[in-house]
Amino acid sequence: MTRARRSLLPYALLAPGLLWLLVFFAIPLYYMAEISLKEGTIETGYQFTWHFETYVDAISNYDEQLIRSFWYAGLATLIAFLIGFPLAYAIAFRGGKYRNALLLIVILPFFITYLVRTLSWQTILDDEGWIVDSLKTVGLIGDEGRLLATPAAVVAGITYNFLPFMILPLYAALERIDPRMLEAAYDLYAKRRDVVLRVVIPTAMPGIVAGVLLTFIPAAGDFVNAELLGTPQTSMIGNVIQSRYLELTDYPTAAALSFILMLAILLLVLAYARFAGTEQLTGAEAR
Amino acid sequence: MQVSKPRRSGFEERFAALIREEITRRRLMRRGAAGALSVSAMAYLAACGEDELSGGQQEEAPTIKKGPISKTLNFSNWPLYIDIDDKSKKRPTLEKFKRRYGTTVKYTEEINDNVEFFGKVRQEYEQGSSGGRDIHVVTDWLCARMLRLGFVQKFDKSEMPNASKNLEDSLASPDFDPNREHSMPWQSGQVLIGYRRDRTGGRLTSVNDLFDPKFKGKVTFLSEMRDTVAAVLLADGIEPENATKDQALTAIEKIEKAARDGQIRRFTGNEYIKDLPKGDSIAVLGWSGDFVQLTADNPNVAYSVPEEGFAIFTDSMQIPVGAPNAYTAQKMIDFVYDPEIQAAITAYVNYVPPVKGTKEVLLEQDPEIAENELIFPDLSKAHSLKNYPPAEEREVEEAFQRAIGA
Repeated sequence: MTRARRSLLPYALLAPGLLWLLVFFAIPLYYMAEISLKEGTIETGYQFTWHFETYVDAISNYDEQLIRSFWYAGLATLIAFLIGFPLAYAIAFRGGKYRNALLLIVILPFFITYLVRTLSWQTILDDEGWIVDSLKTVGLIGDEGRLLATPAAVVAGITYNFLPFMILPLYAALERIDPRMLEAAYDLYAKRRDVVLRVVIPTAMPGIVAGVLLTFIPAAGDFVNAELLGTPQTSMIGNVIQSRYLELTDYPTAAALSFILMLAILLLVLAYARFAGTEQLTGAEAR
Repeated sequence: MQVSKPRRSGFEERFAALIREEITRRRLMRRGAAGALSVSAMAYLAACGEDELSGGQQEEAPTIKKGPISKTLNFSNWPLYIDIDDKSKKRPTLEKFKRRYGTTVKYTEEINDNVEFFGKVRQEYEQGSSGGRDIHVVTDWLCARMLRLGFVQKFDKSEMPNASKNLEDSLASPDFDPNREHSMPWQSGQVLIGYRRDRTGGRLTSVNDLFDPKFKGKVTFLSEMRDTVAAVLLADGIEPENATKDQALTAIEKIEKAARDGQIRRFTGNEYIKDLPKGDSIAVLGWSGDFVQLTADNPNVAYSVPEEGFAIFTDSMQIPVGAPNAYTAQKMIDFVYDPEIQAAITAYVNYVPPVKGTKEVLLEQDPEIAENELIFPDLSKAHSLKNYPPAEEREVEEAFQRAIGA
C-alpha cells in the first residue's frame, strides 16, 4: 500500500458516517436555520428576510414553556438517577449469573412502542383506577385529587420513558469497577458512605455523565408525555413546536424555537461538562 | 351501524377502544403524537420550497367545460368516509357509478388532516397541477382558502341537477362560497355535549354547563378551534357566523381562563371515546359521529344537543385546477346528491348527510338510522364559525393555540 493510499484510508472509512451526518444533520439544520429567518405565511409563501425578531418573539412568548421543559426534564433526570443508580449498582455487583436477564428486563419496555407505553400510563393513572383509589384510601391524595393530567404525571411519564437510558450507561460504568478497589477501600478503613462517595461515584462518573445527558436531552424536547398525561398548564416547548408547526403552519417560529431549544441544551451541556470535566464527557477517563 | 356486539373481556374492550380511536375518521392524528412524526416530513418539504409566491389574491376560477366521460377518476378522501362492502371490500357507491358511467374510480384515502394535506398539495396546486386528483374533500375553512388562492375550479351548476335541487338549505350558502359553486358538502358532523349521566346528576343542556365548577377538572373541550369557539359563542348567545373577531377572542379568553383555573382538564381530538367511559372526564364537547358508537357501547354515556344550537363542521368536495377529468368529477359530485346513493353512504359512515331526501329513503330501508338525531339533526339549529380574512384568522387561531397551552 502506498503512503498516499494509506493516508486516504481513514477518510474513506469515515465517509459513510460523514455522509450520514451531512445528509441527515447538516443539511436539515441549514434548512431549518434558513426557515427560522423567513417571514410570511403558508398561503403567501415564505420570504427570506433575516427576520431575527422571530427569535425574540419566540423567547418572550414561550419562556414559560421553555423553563418548564428544563424544570421537568431536570426533575425527571434526577429521579431517574435516584432510581437508576441503586438498580445499576445492584445488577453490576449483585446480579451474578442473572445479570443479563436483569438487563434484558430493563430494556424490555423498548420492545413496545413509546406511544403505546405512554398511553398505558393513562390507564394506570386513571382517576378511577386502583392506584388513585389506594392513594385516596391511605389519604395521600384528597377525595378530589387525581394523578392523571397533573405535572406529577408528566414528570413520572418522562422518568419512566427515559429510565433505561440512565440505567444502561450507569451499568456499563459500574460493571467496569474492579471489586478489589472497593475491598482495598474497606481495608483502608473507609466507611460504606466513603466508599460510595469517594470510590464508586468518581469511578462511575463517565457513566453518570452519559446517563444524565442521554436522559436530559431527549426529555427536554419531549412532547408526548405532556400531551397525553398533562393539561394545558403542563405543556412543554415540544408541544409548542408541534402546534406551531402542524396546527398553525408557522414554520419560522417552529424552526426558531427548535434552535433556541438546541442552543439552550448545548449551553447547559457545556456548563455541565465544565463542572464534570470534559474527559469524562467523552468517556476518556484519566487514570 | 349499531350492531350489537358479542361480550368482551375488559382488556379486549380497552384494546378495541384503542384501535377504534386510532381508526375513527378524524382526529387522533390531529394533535396526537403519532401524526406529528409522519406529517412533519411533508410539511417540512413544503416549507423548504418556493420563496417567491404570487399567492394571496383571489383569482377567477375557471368554469368546468363539457367533455367526454373519462375512463378513470381520481378521488381523494379521508379514511373510513365512504361505504365499504365488508365481504368484497369494494365500495358499492363507486361500483354504482361505474355501472352508470363506465368510469373506474381510483379512490385514495390520503387525507388525514387538513393542514397536512394543504402542506402536501400547495406547491402542485400553485403551479396549476392537481397531482392527478380530480376531487378532494377538505373541511370548509380549507375550502375557503383553496378558493381564495385560486386552486379550485368552478362548477357548471346547470350540469348538476341533483346537487342544485337536493343540497340542504342550511349548508347552501356559506360566507366563502354563497352559491356553492366551488365546493359541495360531502358530510357534516355536529359538535355536541357528551356526559356521564350517572355522574353529572342530571341532563346537561347547554355548553355553559361545562363551565359549572361542580365538574372542575372533569371537562374536556375539542382542540379543533372552530368547533370549540363556535360552541362557546353559541352558549353566550352569539351567532358564530356573525361573530366579530373580538367576540371570538372574548370566547377564547373565557376558554383560556377555564383552562387556567383547572376547570378544563384538557383539549382533545376524539380521546373522549375512552376518557368518558373510564370516568376521567364526565362532561365533554365531542363529535356526533363518535356518539353513535359510544352511547351504544356504554349505557352511562349520554349526549345532548345544546339548547342554544350546535356547531357543525362540513367537509366538502372540490375540483382542483388542473384536474385531468374535471367534467367526470362534476358528474361524480352530482351522483352522490342522488338521495338513493347518499343513503348508502350515510348508513355506513353515520355522519350528517347534506342531501335532502336521504332521510325518506332510509325511513324505508333502515328506520333506526333515519330516526337517529345524531345523523339527522334539526339543521335549522346548526351554526359554524365565520371565515375570517387570513390575518384575522391567524390571530384567532394563535389565541386559541395559546389557550390550549401551546
